[in-house]
Amino acid sequence: MKEAQATGPAGDDPVSAGHGPTWASPEFGAIYEEHSRQIFYLALRFLGDPAQAEDATHDVFLKAYRKLGEFRGDSAMRTWLYRIAINHCKNLRQTWYQRNMVSNADDSIWESAVSRTETPLRVLEIKELGERIQKTLDALPEEYRLLLLLVADEQLSYEEMAALTGQSSDAIRGKLHRARKSFVLQFQKPA
Amino acid sequence: MNPKSPKFQHQQKQETTEQAAALQTTHEFASPEEILRRDAAQVEVPAALAHRVAESIAKEPKPSRSWWRKLFSRGEANG
Repeated sequence: MKEAQATGPAGDDPVSAGHGPTWASPEFGAIYEEHSRQIFYLALRFLGDPAQAEDATHDVFLKAYRKLGEFRGDSAMRTWLYRIAINHCKNLRQTWYQRNMVSNADDSIWESAVSRTETPLRVLEIKELGERIQKTLDALPEEYRLLLLLVADEQLSYEEMAALTGQSSDAIRGKLHRARKSFVLQFQKPA
Repeated sequence: MNPKSPKFQHQQKQETTEQAAALQTTHEFASPEEILRRDAAQVEVPAALAHRVAESIAKEPKPSRSWWRKLFSRGEANG
C-alpha cells in the first residue's frame, strides 16, 4: 500500500511552494496545527487507506469547526477531536462493510491466542514499518486496533480512553493486554 | 583479475552481501505502542490537507464564540 507523503516537488501553487494556509479563524488554525497529525494517523491506520484518511481528517476538522459552540471544555480538545474522529471512521468502515459484505474474523481466535509478549518486536527496515504495521492492524478486531492506536498517544490517559470507548478503565486495561498480545502475535508472523 | 573468473565473481558477491548486511540495522521495540509511536512520527500529514480544511472553513458561517471565552478564561485561571 502506498504510504502517505508530505509534499510533492515545489511548484507555483501555495501548497507545493510550502506556504501555510490562510485561516479564516487563526485560533482554529492553531488547533489544526496541534492535533492534525494524531487525528490523521488514527484515521490512516484505522481505515488503512491514505486517501480515505485524508478525506476523513478533513471532515473531522470541518465537523469540529461547526460544533465548536458545543465544546464545553469538560474534556481536552484532543479527546474531543478523537471522539469525532472515532465516530466518523467507524461510520465509514460500517458503510464500507455493508457495501462489500465482508465478515470480520472470529474474535475468539485472538482471545485464545498465545504469544510471547516479552519478546521485543524486531524490524530490519524502518521504511517498511508502515506497511507491516498496517497489515498487522488490519488483521486485528476493530476494537483492539482502536485501543492500540489510542494508547500510542501519550497524551491520553486510561480514563480518557475509557470515556472515548464507553467502557470502564479496568475493562480497557484487560482488553489492552489482549490487544497487545494479538498485535505481537500477528506482527511476528512471517510475511 | 579477470572479471569473468569464478574467484572474482565470488569475491564480488561476498562484498555485495556484506554491504547489504551493513545497511540493515535491526530496530527493536519493547511494545506495540512503542512501534506505533515510531510509525506515527514517520507519517506526514499531507500539506494540501491544511489548505483544504482552511478553504472549507472559510465557506462556513462563524461558530459561536462562547467556547473561546471558556477556553481563554480557563487558560487565565490556570496560568
